[in-house]
Amino acid sequence: MSLRTGTFHENYAQEMATLSSRRQWGTVAALLVFLFVCPLFLSDRMLTILTTMGIAVVSIHGLNILTGYCGQISIGHSGFMAVGGYTSAILCAKLGWPFWAALPCGALAAGIAGLLFGLPSLKIKGFYLIMATIAAQFIIIWIIIQLRSITGGTDGLLVPKPVIGGIVLSSKTNYYYLVMVFVVLSTITAHNIVRTRAGRAFIAIRDNDLAAEVMGVSLWSYKLQAFFIGCIYAGVAGSLLVHYVRFASIEQFPFMDSVWYLGMLIVGGMGSTAGAIFGVVALKLLDELVTVAGPILAAAVAPQAAASLALISHGLIIIIFLIFEPRGLHHRWEMIKTYFRLWPFSHQEIE
Amino acid sequence: MKGGDSIWQNAYFIAFINPTAVKEGIIMAKIKWMLRASMPILLAAVLLLPVNAQAEKVLYVGGTQSLTGPFAEDSAAVLAAIEDYVAYVNATKNLAPWRKEKFPADVKLEVMWRDDELKPPKALSIYEELKAKGMLVGRISGSPIALALKDRMWEDQMGATSMATGPYYLSPPQSCFTYYPIYTDSIAAIADWFKTSWKEARKPKVAYLTADNAMGRSIEIPEMKAYLQKTGYEFVGTQYVPLVPTSPPTTQLTWLKQKGVDLALGVMINPGSQPTVKEMARLGMGPHLAHKMTFGVPAPGHAAVFAEAMGELGDGYVCAGSFRPMDDLATPGIKFCSDLQDKYRTGKRITHIMYEAGVLEAMVQVEALRLAMQKVPFEKLTPGDVLKHGFYQIKNLPTGDISSTPLTYGKGDIEGVDQVRIDQVQKGKSVKVGIFPLRNIYTKK
Repeated sequence: MSLRTGTFHENYAQEMATLSSRRQWGTVAALLVFLFVCPLFLSDRMLTILTTMGIAVVSIHGLNILTGYCGQISIGHSGFMAVGGYTSAILCAKLGWPFWAALPCGALAAGIAGLLFGLPSLKIKGFYLIMATIAAQFIIIWIIIQLRSITGGTDGLLVPKPVIGGIVLSSKTNYYYLVMVFVVLSTITAHNIVRTRAGRAFIAIRDNDLAAEVMGVSLWSYKLQAFFIGCIYAGVAGSLLVHYVRFASIEQFPFMDSVWYLGMLIVGGMGSTAGAIFGVVALKLLDELVTVAGPILAAAVAPQAAASLALISHGLIIIIFLIFEPRGLHHRWEMIKTYFRLWPFSHQEIE
Repeated sequence: MKGGDSIWQNAYFIAFINPTAVKEGIIMAKIKWMLRASMPILLAAVLLLPVNAQAEKVLYVGGTQSLTGPFAEDSAAVLAAIEDYVAYVNATKNLAPWRKEKFPADVKLEVMWRDDELKPPKALSIYEELKAKGMLVGRISGSPIALALKDRMWEDQMGATSMATGPYYLSPPQSCFTYYPIYTDSIAAIADWFKTSWKEARKPKVAYLTADNAMGRSIEIPEMKAYLQKTGYEFVGTQYVPLVPTSPPTTQLTWLKQKGVDLALGVMINPGSQPTVKEMARLGMGPHLAHKMTFGVPAPGHAAVFAEAMGELGDGYVCAGSFRPMDDLATPGIKFCSDLQDKYRTGKRITHIMYEAGVLEAMVQVEALRLAMQKVPFEKLTPGDVLKHGFYQIKNLPTGDISSTPLTYGKGDIEGVDQVRIDQVQKGKSVKVGIFPLRNIYTKK
């Protein structure tokens, strides 16, 4: 985080700290307290929305590492979520594993799937990589359908209620807290991964892979690392999703979700941890808005006006952002922050 | 230079002294302007949102709909019918022209619905929203939604009508109610009907040709296969067709032809069954073509809709569990549907057969609410009351012959009807060819 005018780092530890002022600590603490007390005053519906938002945030952090930081565009993220979700569901439903053990296995399985489908990225990029990741989405879903005896095929799989330390996470409040823990953890790790050697290598590859290679960055290693890490996030999100719905079905991981995830990243701002959160919140809120507005529109205009409203509005908002604010909401947020940080000064000194 | 001591000094400083600050000030002004402009929109949205009625007694019907996706056409017709039926009950307090019971005069019905896009997570969020808004009856819009919400609805003791009718409903616990036979019972009826006209000494060969999704695959249960074999069929195997095929299913049909299949059974909606039957005809497969094969599907592939689109090309196509054609005005229920549209839908008539399904769904939901209110005061009604004193108490609900029999529900009886109507496309028209009893085929876990 940037600092207010007049605040200076005095040592290396301060320079490296993620949060370096009391104000920043206070803001984060206030946010955490807010997340903690939400169930006290929010309805079940709002908790459901926040929980699904949280799951999407975890997933988008992964996509942000892969696409936003490393520049490897993936339109198969929903497929990788399916790998994590189904692995976790199978381990719990068929083998009786506890949720806390099944979830990391789901994440690992998704990471390995990411490694496999990331292999083409060593040879191809841009449009061709997009096509390869689309193929990943369809191949994963096809495999799930074919492994009917294990996955339940198109019928899906009933998943038992998650239990952690003897606590059955059956209520919306319980699960909300669980998801928020993962949101916080994934946000911290995503933010810090970018500050590591690997993170800097990702950015170097994104900005100019040839230059990065000349500088000694191993494209082979770091591209696969990006796929592995990004898909681990997807696996965690997929696992959280199926345990929340308590049912694993291929319908939970449609191709269009992969497209919308990329859209969330565009709207929020690629290459920014906060941007990933902004994108999820913006598009999920839009989704809820059009769902509520659908019946009103149908009554006012025509019954069919509500059909496909979400698809149209999502597409439209992504186009608008691509044209008018390609750097996403995060950029706007940074502008606002900069303005208030320097208040009443501008960032340039007066002659 | 130190910043100004007051806001006005700061503003003066930004506006007149520092050119960069002026630029940033313009950007901030734009942001502020946008925020101000969005306020009336937000205000309007909040005001327009449906809120729980406080002054008058209001009960909600409707529920989640799949207006986006493969079931859009069916859902739109269902929704229109629910709206029309609710308008009728509110205006007349009657429940149907052939019924004497009245809906309570001081209670108003309202339709509340959302488009779930056939996405289970979205349906979950919608379900929570509608429940929070005071909805006492639920609705299932398709098999994926049913599988995701079924157990949750039971936990909440929420009774629901369902457009999907998979055998998964018959495994307890049960709080979702259908108004046409479940898919396995429908194809069992087709198998029974087909055997009545089978004259050869050998066993007829049967195969599944079904949609490749939860709905289509729901018939693949051991009990269904066992029933077919018990009734004298030789089961050959299964072929899958995408729910909405993007290319003709030539490979699958050629496989059926090579295996010498006499009867192909599956669950398909019209966007799937129509291109499939077109390709069948091209390959010379059909009851009146070179390779004698009959193709039968349960109600989602309604014969009336199919016949209208396919004409004589679709001759021989069989559909079980559907309703009477919309032009059968001699039937009281169909006449009622027509009258509803005359009164509440002038100029926007709906010809889709699922309009009848929507009227049935609305009838069931309203009847459940009415019965529950006879036992529990309006103010104290809960979803559990509506399930226990409403849905479970619906016995022989007359539907004006829209459904194959009057509807009866109860614990362990969620199917509503007792018989399966079978229609076949003949000379481009949907013709009733038989009615068979339910076989109650489901996985008895």
